Amino acid sequence: MSPRRHLLTAGAVWVVLSVLGIVVVAGLQIIPVIASREAAIENSAFVLLTAVSVPVLMLVVVGLAYAALRFRAPGASVAGSADGMADGTIDGPPIHGHRGFQAAWLAISLLMVLGLFAYGAVGLVEIRGAQAADFEVQVEAEQWAWHYAYANGVRSTELHVPVDRRVHLVIKSDDVIHSFWVPAFGVKQDAVPGHPTQIYVTATHAGTFPGMCAELCGLGHTGMTTTVVVADQAAVDAWLSNQPKPSAKPSPKPSPEASGS
Amino acid sequence: MIATRVLAAARTFAPRSRSFVPRPGLPRAILGAIIGFALGIGLAAELKAEPGQLLALAYLFGLAGFLLGVGAFRFWLTWAVGREIDVAEEHAAHGRAGEWQRYFRFTTDHKVIGVQYLVTAFVLFFTAGTAAMFMRFELAQPGIATNKELYNTIMSTHGAMMITVALVSIIGGLGNYLVPIMIGARDMAFPKANALSYWMLPLAILLVAINPLLGGFDSGWTAYPPLSQQANLGQQAYLMAFVTVGVSSILSAINFLVTVFRMRAPGMSLMRMPIFVWALTVTAALALIATSVVAAAFTMLLFDRILGTAFFRASRGGDVILFQHLFWFYSHPAVYIMALPGLGAILEVVPVFARKPLFAYPLAVLSFISIGVMSFMVWAHHMFVSGMAEFFHIPIMLTTELISVPTGIVFLSALGTIWLGRIQFKVPMLWVFGFIWAFLIGGITGVFLADVPTDIALSDTAFVVAHFHYTIVGGTIFGLFAGTYYWFPKITGRMYNERLGRLHFWWFTLAFNATFIPMFWLGIEGMRRRVADYPAEFGTVNLFISIAAFNIALSVGVFAFNMIRSWKTGPLAESNPWQAQTLEWQIASPPPIQNFDEIPTVTATPYQYGSPRPAAADGSSAS
Amino acid sequence: MTTHVAIGAHDEDAAAAASNMLLAVKLAILSEVMLFGALFAAYFVIRGESPGWPPPGHLERPELVLPGLNTLLLVTSSVTMQLAVRAARAGNRSRILRWLGLTLLLGGIFIVIQAYEFSTNGFGLDAGTFGSTFYILTGFHGAHVLAGAILIAIVANRTRLGLFSAEHHTSLEGTSYYWHFVDVVWIFLFSSLYVL
Repeated sequence: MSPRRHLLTAGAVWVVLSVLGIVVVAGLQIIPVIASREAAIENSAFVLLTAVSVPVLMLVVVGLAYAALRFRAPGASVAGSADGMADGTIDGPPIHGHRGFQAAWLAISLLMVLGLFAYGAVGLVEIRGAQAADFEVQVEAEQWAWHYAYANGVRSTELHVPVDRRVHLVIKSDDVIHSFWVPAFGVKQDAVPGHPTQIYVTATHAGTFPGMCAELCGLGHTGMTTTVVVADQAAVDAWLSNQPKPSAKPSPKPSPEASGS
Repeated sequence: MIATRVLAAARTFAPRSRSFVPRPGLPRAILGAIIGFALGIGLAAELKAEPGQLLALAYLFGLAGFLLGVGAFRFWLTWAVGREIDVAEEHAAHGRAGEWQRYFRFTTDHKVIGVQYLVTAFVLFFTAGTAAMFMRFELAQPGIATNKELYNTIMSTHGAMMITVALVSIIGGLGNYLVPIMIGARDMAFPKANALSYWMLPLAILLVAINPLLGGFDSGWTAYPPLSQQANLGQQAYLMAFVTVGVSSILSAINFLVTVFRMRAPGMSLMRMPIFVWALTVTAALALIATSVVAAAFTMLLFDRILGTAFFRASRGGDVILFQHLFWFYSHPAVYIMALPGLGAILEVVPVFARKPLFAYPLAVLSFISIGVMSFMVWAHHMFVSGMAEFFHIPIMLTTELISVPTGIVFLSALGTIWLGRIQFKVPMLWVFGFIWAFLIGGITGVFLADVPTDIALSDTAFVVAHFHYTIVGGTIFGLFAGTYYWFPKITGRMYNERLGRLHFWWFTLAFNATFIPMFWLGIEGMRRRVADYPAEFGTVNLFISIAAFNIALSVGVFAFNMIRSWKTGPLAESNPWQAQTLEWQIASPPPIQNFDEIPTVTATPYQYGSPRPAAADGSSAS
Repeated sequence: MTTHVAIGAHDEDAAAAASNMLLAVKLAILSEVMLFGALFAAYFVIRGESPGWPPPGHLERPELVLPGLNTLLLVTSSVTMQLAVRAARAGNRSRILRWLGLTLLLGGIFIVIQAYEFSTNGFGLDAGTFGSTFYILTGFHGAHVLAGAILIAIVANRTRLGLFSAEHHTSLEGTSYYWHFVDVVWIFLFSSLYVL
């Protein structure tokens, strides 16, 4: 078989597998639960990256498989042969490189990467969004629990936020680094001692979602989980007004029984 | 019976008559370490030091005692006081061929040092692997089966040890052994410094290994403060050990760079060097430049712990995120220090078994250099959710995505060599194919982590764990196995067992993929990393992973058995069983102490495969 | 038997060995530059984030007189060191010894003045971020000066024993590179820690 035929055959297999793969991927939802605007943007990024990965993966896999099948030296797979190469080992063609191919590879990979970057940059800007917010909560991390302080003075170990509103979370820690993560929201940000951080998120689905600490913070890291409740604004307001308010001189860390609902 | 043999062996290190001080070597080093250790503790007691300060003093004095005892400073001290060095004794430090004691002494022959590194690295690899088995035992089912404190410590220790293996195994082991020969030199530029680099390691490794006895440490190898400031004494053991390994690798890097730039054989221009040598050269440059930064970061952390400084104490004006910047400024180049030697080994092996020239050799060299340079511009992709300055995200995303372009050239070179070749699937070539798959998965999943939107979801999850195992195991460990099998006949003079080698490869590769592919899914589904427990719905997958992981360990057992048995009683190997063209294959297996009877002259790259076949390579010209 | 021993290169050619050693010294200095670079970076970052420098609650800054004098001493010592190198190239043993001795003296005085300044500063390593950054930088630098002084003493002793020639004085030359590096670091230190 001429080199050209090899290339065309392998190339054809590659095209077919890549197209099939992309078709399959395009219909996927990769993030398991999407309950916010941000998570939806991230899911699109996931799908795009996975789709782009398919032809790259297939190129290498098809190349390797084709080579293993078609470019084996005859008699090379004899089991038990322990003494190096057989006598009369024959070499392949003395090809040191191919300018055109190398240039094409470089150009295509560069363009792909720049394209992915552009998409990712736009996605990031969209996720961060504007600084304004409708609802603000202070998130306090400590070894090993999450506390939330709301604008009206209520403290709780549950995060309640209104649906379809832009929520601003200010995240703090006084002991070690923790990380506030709500998978369904597609948000994650470290809680850093001495350096408050923030998250803006717009929840798009009502429901109850798990949250957890995503930065190793000691023995209790595994169990440092929390609950996030998304409901319409009226329900959240009602929940807030039903919470026991802290006394005139609030203690820094009220016991869980007093602040839970 | 065993005791008698051990004693007889130890007696060969016994003192010359009339002196009761043993000759320099491992036994005397241990003695020196104990004395130094005691001195350090004594001094600490005098100064009424706290436990952390005591540990530091004990370790420093112990290390000094160890190195003095092994004889590391003998020649330099003689030089320093202006006395003549006994040239015969200096040459004798190269050791006599066939004498096993030279592996337990301060031997300056690069071939001995290479074996010392390689064996030490593999022992460490097995130990760290055992730690991983403990982790997978805990993670096999939901709930806590063992103990959270112990889990965190074992997890951190697994990371610390494996990082060390990845950093030193190929460049210290295979590199030390082969690079001087591959460039046509008789040894490294600084043989004594080379031996010193090696002997700095055993005590550092011991320190990491015993950290559970000191209370363990639960911060992971990344050691972020404030957690690492409040952690137990085991934390400090790790920090000090890591700095020691760092100093050793800087010394080693200087040695490599001077050797490669100054000691090549006539005719071997830089663009005629084997690709393996190029990979190690870039690696050495990275180690030289980056390591001091993490040494500084760890020193500041140590000072915070034992001297009351406030570098990373937020309540006293320190900056917690600063540590991460300094740490990752080294640790990202570090992953290339780990991966590049593996990539180099793979690209060295592939032309030999495809019987074709290395495809795009100059471009591959350029890509290694580009990877090296760019590796300094991407560190903050480990910090996308750290709370660092917002403006940093987009530039770092760009540089991180861009570094995949030169990395992709490695695939171009490997695939281009294989394509249209006449492939011999000997064991080293199997590892090449396994590498191409594994490193590809690692690279592709890296793009998901480079892209900030997807990284937000994936950071600190099992996805990251799977990604770096694919790149580091796929790059470094597959490269290490490929290189070890490939160069086994050269180093030992015997051939390994091909059947057992194939068994090892298939078992390891299937088990490795079965272990880590599901982890990508787990990360996407929301399982965190560095946790001892997880939601019940992940139980089945985790059990599957644990069973697959145990298989990795078993397959490595096959490897160990094959290596040891073949070294002792394998069939004798010729000088060039692979009919390869690099210089090490043009001399005997194993090589004589002086490497070459006559330094060869080189006229081309060692990839002149293909018809018409060049004249058979002999000692005087590498075609 | 020649009294020259190639400390380092396992190479017949003494000139190549010397050149290898000098390259090694330059590479080592590169690594040290990164070390001090990291420490300076930490200093500037911490200082930049601090509400004022010295931070509130901290005592006044060290005075400039002694460090200023130290700067003069070190810069002069670099000059004397270079003169020693020139003497070596001319093969003049007594001149080498004279200039090395002066360099050593200046370095020694530097160390004494630093120690004195530390003892009268009124703050220690544990004095918050100011003390931490100040002492880690000056401390590491001081340790490097001390190491350099020991190297100079060794080289001077070997000169005294007649172990150098006009063609071969690698360790002197290597030590001079190191010493100049230590001097340059001090100038950065002086400007960043004391003046700025």
